Amino acid sequence: MFLIRVRATFEKCGRAKYISHLDLNRCMLRTFRRSRLPIWYTEGFNPHPYYSFALALSLGFESSCEILDFNLNEDIPFDEIKDKLNSVMPEGMRIIKVAEQKQKITAIAKAEYSFSLVSDAVDSLYADVNKLIASPEILIEKKTKKGIKTVDIKPDMEILTCNKTERSVDISMYLPAGTQTNYNPTLFIEALKKTTDIAFETENIRRTAILCADNTVFE
Amino acid sequence: MLKDKIEKHLLEVQKPSRYIGGEVGSVIKDKSKVDVRFAFCFPDTYDIGMSHLGMKILYSLTNERENYWCERCFAPSEDFEAVMRENDIPLYALESLDPIKDFDFIGFTMQYELSYANVLNMLDLAGIPIFSKDRTQELTQIVIAGGPCVCNPEPLADFFDICVLGEGEEVNLELMDLYYELKKEGATRDEFLRKACQIEGVYVPKFYEFVYKDDGTIDHIETTNGAPEVIRKRIIRDLDKVYYPDNFVVPFTEIVQDRVSVEVLRGCIRGCRFCQAGFIYRPFREKHAETVCRSAKNLCKNTGYDEISLASLSTSDHSEIDPMLTKLLDYTVSEKINLSLPSLRVDNFSESLLEKIKRVRKSGLTFAAEGGTQRLRDVINKNVSEEEIMNTCRIAFEGGYSSVKLYFMMGLPTETDEDIVGIAELANRIIDLYYSIENRPKGRGVQISISCATFVPKPFTPFQFEPQDTREMIEHKQKLLLDSIKTKKIKVSYHNPDVSMLEVILAKGDRRLCKAVYAAWKKGCKFDSWDEYFHFDKWLEAFEECGIDTSFYANRRFEYDEILPWDHLDYLVSKEFLVRENKTARQSKTTPNCRLRCSGCGVNKKVGRECF
Repeated sequence: MFLIRVRATFEKCGRAKYISHLDLNRCMLRTFRRSRLPIWYTEGFNPHPYYSFALALSLGFESSCEILDFNLNEDIPFDEIKDKLNSVMPEGMRIIKVAEQKQKITAIAKAEYSFSLVSDAVDSLYADVNKLIASPEILIEKKTKKGIKTVDIKPDMEILTCNKTERSVDISMYLPAGTQTNYNPTLFIEALKKTTDIAFETENIRRTAILCADNTVFE
Repeated sequence: MLKDKIEKHLLEVQKPSRYIGGEVGSVIKDKSKVDVRFAFCFPDTYDIGMSHLGMKILYSLTNERENYWCERCFAPSEDFEAVMRENDIPLYALESLDPIKDFDFIGFTMQYELSYANVLNMLDLAGIPIFSKDRTQELTQIVIAGGPCVCNPEPLADFFDICVLGEGEEVNLELMDLYYELKKEGATRDEFLRKACQIEGVYVPKFYEFVYKDDGTIDHIETTNGAPEVIRKRIIRDLDKVYYPDNFVVPFTEIVQDRVSVEVLRGCIRGCRFCQAGFIYRPFREKHAETVCRSAKNLCKNTGYDEISLASLSTSDHSEIDPMLTKLLDYTVSEKINLSLPSLRVDNFSESLLEKIKRVRKSGLTFAAEGGTQRLRDVINKNVSEEEIMNTCRIAFEGGYSSVKLYFMMGLPTETDEDIVGIAELANRIIDLYYSIENRPKGRGVQISISCATFVPKPFTPFQFEPQDTREMIEHKQKLLLDSIKTKKIKVSYHNPDVSMLEVILAKGDRRLCKAVYAAWKKGCKFDSWDEYFHFDKWLEAFEECGIDTSFYANRRFEYDEILPWDHLDYLVSKEFLVRENKTARQSKTTPNCRLRCSGCGVNKKVGRECF
């Protein structure tokens, strides 16, 4: 059976960040149908178009690097696939790139996130953030299938930038992602809330890259 | 910006995508180029309201007009309502995210009685005066209502400026055109309403005053401001040519009817005497099979849905049902689309039709038998014989089904204990039938689900004169039914009779109920159709405080010659016919369907043409 494996990178911004992962599935199904692309259907009792997202994105997060894999029954130029999908995507969602599937999903090791902590007392918050980053361990309580367990996220967390602006502290970091361990930046924010007295609000959480273990972009 | 304010709290609530718009298919316009803005409000949550076909039609239709902009608005769930009230977020429309208080029209579709309190809550959230009399003379914020419940809008008469009777495709635009003209002239609200009430189908409640007799019934109605004495509902004469959208707003979150829905016909030929829809949507009109298929294809193409349902009161009564399904199935099978067929009647459920449904997907079979004995089914004019029910079940069982769901009503006029026991007996005979069939599904037991609703007499039906059973009577009948069932193969479920009692009060009530609806809302009543929000005690308190005797509406027989609260509204079906049908019912006599013989309901005379 002739089958083309395709990997699309798409962004999910603005109002689209309120589409939950479950809803995104349904949304993508309808997008494919609107695009009239010859997507490959599974051949079981209940045939359905086959596609999968490499990493789930939390509700409320924006992203510029989501990965969507699917198969086509016909060989169609990548640009044409991209254009066809983009002409029927919902507001806030846009295909950036369509290419072949170079690596296996299991190659995903980490993701890059950025976010802003908005506060009336930026200076004090900035100091507290740096204190937390410098501390030997960052213990958080993580919900797992077996119940709540305490985890030290410090060894797996890599701060890339931490800058102060007039109204916010802007941070970017690597966190483990993929089939093994997944850390969400809100874990860091929760840890900060426990160590600082400064009131702040989190804005613009955004996934900016999905990476392999050697920090190269997953393709 | 309201958008920022909304977004600040959106992640605190369940299913936030319901509150922020941006769905594929939603219509965005430049508001500086728009002359009339219409907020189409559904008085329930997004998940329910977005499933409503009428909204989809009128939304697209209005937006076809370049200078009119129709937007959607729904009742927020409790969690988001709390956020809105706490943060001064007024009720807003989903396209522009602008407050609906700034709109020209705020239109509610009234689909069921238990959504009445939500209307008040939404007006309050919007910051619009709840009572029509408290709104400014300035020409803005016209609160209008349509939908089946406005066939008796009196319990809401104090809140609406205008009620639109019948089908809205033409009259809505006529109202907007009039508004646009008068707005340019700088007219007042009352000047607009005085002109509007001259349009056929437009009812302005405040131009009508009710005078009551000492016994509480209506003595007469006085009209003011030159309003017509009788308001006739609007219909679309040629259904095949009427506007039908080729695109729907496609929600992100799952809604109740999450599929393409194509209207195939309006009205019903059956005349079941309890069914309001069967009378208020007359005359019976069909769309051609071609038209239906074209709409279905367009909608699937533009929305990306992979499921179609055919919308009507009784799809199998369509005169071209076989060619229509064949044509549709050719398309849906090749495109891997599911076709679901609701509203099947037992009497014309053929083997070939079952084959067609089975080609698509095997789901449960549901039949509305309504009454447990033939005598009672004749009283309600559900023209279905036991033989037909059995025959249908046989076809279903032989076709591989092993479970059947049957709908019944309790508290129907003339009902006796024998009719209740008859429900159990009918179910037993279906079980016996199952085991008598040689090629029944192997190794599976049969399961009969019986669902019992409490009968609610409704305006514009032959049973509009009938009282509802009291709570005690219903409880007796429920117990009797349970005692009559001796096997686990039959499962019984009930609707809450308190809900049905509130329904009948609001359905048959008059204008004096407005203050009770207001009082109930003040006590916190809303989402009454949701079990967890239904507080009958609060409603009873409200009725009592307002001096309303609920049994006057719920448990009293309305006399044939009494002026009913909806007698000034003309839904084309004549009152003489309803009286005649009521009398025929009491003799346990049936009336054949409209195709077999015209029953003389009066619609064809008023429309000026034969129905068939």
